[in-house]
Amino acid sequence: MEFEGTFTIEEVSPEEVWLSLSDPYMIKQSLPGCQFLTEVEDPDDVDFEELREAEPDEDPPLLPEADPDEVAARGFDEGSHYAALLELKVGAVKPSFRTVVTIDEWDHPVGSASGEGDASGSSFEMDSGMELSETDEGVAIAWHAEADVFGRIAQMGQRVINPVADRVVSRFFSNIEDQLTEVAEEDESSGLRDRIKGMF
Amino acid sequence: MSIETEDPSEIDPAEILGSAIERREDPALITGDAEYTDDIQIPRMTHMAVKRSQHAHARIEDVDTSEAEAMDGVVDVFTAEDIDVPGSLPVGWLLETLEQVDHPILAGEKVRYQGDGVAIVVAEDRYTAQDALDAIDVEYERLDAVTDPSDALNGGPEIHDDAADNVAFEWEIGNADETEEAFEEAAHTVDLEVENQLLIPNAMEPRAAVADYNPSDNQIDLAMTTQNPHVHRLLMAGVIDHPENKLSIRAPDVGGGFGSKIHHYADEALTAWAAKQVERPVKWVATRSETYQTDALGRGHETHGQVAMDEDGNITGLKVDTKANLGAYLSTFAPSIPTYLYGTLLSGQYEIPAIHCEVTGAFTNVPPVDAYRGAGRPEASYIVERLVKHAAEHMDMDPAEFRRQNFVPGDAFPYETPVAMVYDSGDYEKTLDRALEMLDYEEFRERQEAAREEGRYLGVGFSAYIEACGIAPSELVGQLGAQAGLWESSLVRFQPSGTVTAYLGTSGHGQGHDTTYSQILASELGLDIEDIDIVEGDTDEIPQGMGTYGSRSAAVGGSALVQSARKVVEKAKKIAAHQLEASEDDIEFEDGEFRVAGAPDRSMHIQDVAGAAYLAHDMPDDVEPGLEASSFYDPENFVFPFGMHAAIVEVDPDTGEIDFETYVAVDDVGNQINPKIVEGQIHGGVAQGVGQALYEGAEYDENGQLLTGSMQDYTVPKAMHVPEMETDSTVTESPHNPLGVKGVGEAGTIAAPQAIVNAVVDALEPFGVENIEMPLKEERVWRAIHENGGDA
Repeated sequence: MEFEGTFTIEEVSPEEVWLSLSDPYMIKQSLPGCQFLTEVEDPDDVDFEELREAEPDEDPPLLPEADPDEVAARGFDEGSHYAALLELKVGAVKPSFRTVVTIDEWDHPVGSASGEGDASGSSFEMDSGMELSETDEGVAIAWHAEADVFGRIAQMGQRVINPVADRVVSRFFSNIEDQLTEVAEEDESSGLRDRIKGMF
Repeated sequence: MSIETEDPSEIDPAEILGSAIERREDPALITGDAEYTDDIQIPRMTHMAVKRSQHAHARIEDVDTSEAEAMDGVVDVFTAEDIDVPGSLPVGWLLETLEQVDHPILAGEKVRYQGDGVAIVVAEDRYTAQDALDAIDVEYERLDAVTDPSDALNGGPEIHDDAADNVAFEWEIGNADETEEAFEEAAHTVDLEVENQLLIPNAMEPRAAVADYNPSDNQIDLAMTTQNPHVHRLLMAGVIDHPENKLSIRAPDVGGGFGSKIHHYADEALTAWAAKQVERPVKWVATRSETYQTDALGRGHETHGQVAMDEDGNITGLKVDTKANLGAYLSTFAPSIPTYLYGTLLSGQYEIPAIHCEVTGAFTNVPPVDAYRGAGRPEASYIVERLVKHAAEHMDMDPAEFRRQNFVPGDAFPYETPVAMVYDSGDYEKTLDRALEMLDYEEFRERQEAAREEGRYLGVGFSAYIEACGIAPSELVGQLGAQAGLWESSLVRFQPSGTVTAYLGTSGHGQGHDTTYSQILASELGLDIEDIDIVEGDTDEIPQGMGTYGSRSAAVGGSALVQSARKVVEKAKKIAAHQLEASEDDIEFEDGEFRVAGAPDRSMHIQDVAGAAYLAHDMPDDVEPGLEASSFYDPENFVFPFGMHAAIVEVDPDTGEIDFETYVAVDDVGNQINPKIVEGQIHGGVAQGVGQALYEGAEYDENGQLLTGSMQDYTVPKAMHVPEMETDSTVTESPHNPLGVKGVGEAGTIAAPQAIVNAVVDALEPFGVENIEMPLKEERVWRAIHENGGDA
């Protein structure tokens, strides 16, 4: 199934949005149901139990508290792999997807990633991408995803899956938006926004 | 006008055959006294659940059951590696070119449809068993899947190593050269491409099994949802390598089958095998989702049909090319459905000099496809009747008169078709005329004309169907590839007090056999129905049997019952003659009474004869004590019910909505044992046919994932979806069975779809619509109208 949409965040710059969307910690905290998001060396050999146990109690600070240079340093690189545990409520079931994602392209303002998630009795495969563009009001994030779902969740059909996908995507972007609003507020005292702008 | 039921106690045994008595089985069914498989509780019983593949096609790389095994309440977990028996499901019908592929009861190397079993859990309770499934970790390497038969045959991913290009078989019937010639000489030809979509059977009760194993005598008692316990026993004995005489199979009350409980699936065999492993009773009950994922599907044809005609519209040839979807494996009787139960019916009710049909069976990544109410015959009737409608249109002839002109004439029976059938009897004009009368056909055509001028679109559709029921004789079906005989057996046993129990090898699951068999026996023996008990569906009680499917129970089972009853009467007559001190030749039997001819006072009731037979104090020299008889009845031929169904619909071109104005069914099923039951079968069959025509269809995505996996996504017609029907019947007896009966179980399902589709196409004729594929959902109808510009 295919999904696409455009999300607009007002009064931000493309650079701020890009930096936020490149930050694994920002993604982890914004993505509903994401238990962890950890870079891994070998995508075919991931021990999710080990990763869950190794997960620190607290994440490093996000923007605006974080140093933009540190955020940039920990940001996504093309070709890197991440393991994530995603707990989603789909209809009557709440599968935990052990997910491995590969960053296929990461070059401002275009990014794409592909991944596979596996839960008991259900799984998915996904290709996704986004492109940022500056608008009069702020930044438009045009995103698209193509997903194949298998097993129990597939059986529930699009009637159930589409609202779940919509909910996940809209919460994700609104969490990002909230965080960026804080960046804008913080900026009034620190000049953070100029620093970010200068990074790209 | 529906038929009123009668109270059996007010009917004389001489009149009981053919009367619409109330069904004897209904009080138990409607009060909850009936016992279904899931109602069975046995001390120490465990529960089995099946881990099913989420992928339609994948290699299994690893199955890790350790976490599931460690769970509290889990008794054991088994995978393909643990199966220590042959464990491969057999095919019961072979064809010359058939690729017999392995069908393991648990997949070990590869899964081939979404729902293929990979492991089983046996646990203390049902919930633990289900939870433990989630703890089983299966690693798959996903492979490309294919669900459409033509795609599978044209370079689709290889599903079985042994089946090149996914071809399961190539089959043909009829005469290719003569047919080719007919087309060369034809004044007119028409052709159509139609699809007969995959259907999910939807029996109200899901499949279920309860197995109890006793290690000290190696006995397995298995209660299961089956239409044919003896067939299941024979097949399962091989699958789980257990002696047939140590495996008892019983069908408790069974809540519908429609064919889906004929086949030998993996789950029931796994239940029996698991009981032997854990040495405790095991119960397995399919969830509704499992029913949708694993019950054998029906239909699944892609067909190109062509008709040749002379200049007067006489059909001179018929050519049919079908790609049949067989699913991932060969289900029990799968090879017979799109071949001998399909190609042989392509002559319909018509005299067609030359017919040729080719069928290619294709493996795909959907569940196995097998018999579903009608089984091959609906597909045949659909293509024939859609083509006939199309041909009549092409000739600018009235579709009713076009049919009449091409019918096999009433004096031509027995009629041999070019596709290997000999129709026993028929009178097709009679059902046509009655249907036209009920429709008020001429008046309708005037109304249709007038309505069109007002921008309203009415249409009438006909379906002149024929079906073949009671497949037989055994020798013939053996030549055609059946790995079984298709006789039926019965045992009629008097008890000393005069009551009777009849045991039949058929296995009813909603048809009302207790009632109809009792009527037959009451009539044969001259007994009150209260004195008769019918036993079906138990391999321990019934000598042998082939089961209930293909509308065979009345024609084959009923005849077996008559045969045994007559043997009983024969023996009783000897005893009565002896007791009455008369010659056997002078004894007459009527209404249960043996009378000495010419001396009506000297008589003895058959129930008293039974008492005398068991007392055995005074028996004729050559007669053994006791009063019972059994028989195996092997019919000479199929029976061929027929009829005319017709629908009048109105289609709203703005929305694509279809409204029924009238639905008329005139069926000729031979003699009727119970007209109320016949009527009920027609009603139910038409409802299922309406489902196929308008609502139902199993849909899969490109990965073979079922998109219509629940009743929310797959419309089973509800009361509001089913038109009010006007039913009537004619009676043309079958000449070759003692009851003159034919069969009615599938008639409605076979007849209805093309009546409805023809009606919709007729309504949309002004828009240039020639074909719409089933199900005729509103969107499809709307698109068909607007594809041609949407102008009438």
